[in-house]
Amino acid sequence: MGGMGELGIGIGWRSEIDLTVERLPGVDFVEVVAENLHRDHLPESVRILRGRGVPVLPHAVSLSLGGADPVDPARVGHLAEVAAMLDAPMVSDHVCFVRAGGLDSGHLMPVPRTREALEVLVDNVKTAQAGLGVPLALENIAALLRWPDAELTEAQFLTELTERTDCLLLLDVANMWANARNLGEDPVALLDGLPLERLAYVHVAGGVVRDGVYHDTHAHPVPPEVLELLGELCRRASPPGVLLERDDRYPADAELAAELAAIRAVVAG
Amino acid sequence: MSARERLAARQAELLAALLADGPAPAGFDAEALRVEADALLAKRRRVVALIDPEVAESCGEDFAPLFAEYARGNPRRDGSRAREDAAAFAAWVEARRPKRRWWQGRRRG
Repeated sequence: MGGMGELGIGIGWRSEIDLTVERLPGVDFVEVVAENLHRDHLPESVRILRGRGVPVLPHAVSLSLGGADPVDPARVGHLAEVAAMLDAPMVSDHVCFVRAGGLDSGHLMPVPRTREALEVLVDNVKTAQAGLGVPLALENIAALLRWPDAELTEAQFLTELTERTDCLLLLDVANMWANARNLGEDPVALLDGLPLERLAYVHVAGGVVRDGVYHDTHAHPVPPEVLELLGELCRRASPPGVLLERDDRYPADAELAAELAAIRAVVAG
Repeated sequence: MSARERLAARQAELLAALLADGPAPAGFDAEALRVEADALLAKRRRVVALIDPEVAESCGEDFAPLFAEYARGNPRRDGSRAREDAAAFAAWVEARRPKRRWWQGRRRG
């Protein structure tokens, strides 16, 4: 399989690279971090992109759907309003938690892959979906540690989650590769075990090795192994879209354009 | 105890270990906990440096160790904002600076 889906190739819109995103060739869609948008007005650059008909997909980082606390209706409401303002066909967040015991981790934390944690996650996802009005896609995260008592593989966990909630899958191949490298997991086995027919789109990002550990920084070039994994995915399914995430240490426009072109070449097979 | 309550306790224990010097939860790899704690600290430090580059600069080479000390004693609370974190760090640093005495600030002659 292979070829271009209905979304195409995209890049994460960030205010620091707004002009770059506007003028980069071959940007078919973008993603915005939902928490960075106000519900009453859009940044001008985002309005320009919408004016050109470029789909803008809100990507949330704070719903903490894998957390034990009940879902915060205000956060779901904000995401729904941003989606409506952008006329977005879907929204997304992660399979993770970011708050517990009154503390905020500041970054995406893995949930234990137990039946019990899955029950809570499914319940939270259904609550969020009821308040959203557009389909919700959930993303696999990169983890630096693993919970000791997994009862399900990541593939089983994500498959059951999507089946029971009817959510879509936002598959991050860089996160898959990071987990493979750091936690000794098999990314190809994960690919083979996932419900790829529920694929919303795909994330690609770069990272760096520090002290023997790969960090998915979104601040370094995309490693060739991540593009190879994207190729493996494209041999199994036709992703509707593939999006490059870059959040820091922004390179020259030409470098981002080259990364987008490399992604496009892999998807085209 | 419900599934939610059990999960809450486990997640709270993990975050306390990673963010607030709490005891390591059973069954976790100690090195992985250290790597994760460092990664979370580095991300928080980067965000504060972005919001308030002046305070980061004023700390010079001590920024990372100072921030680590501040962060251990002041984990981010649920619902707090990054700007509040940056302001709290700036105030913490300021409170630690040796106070200039009235006679030290005067010009000679």
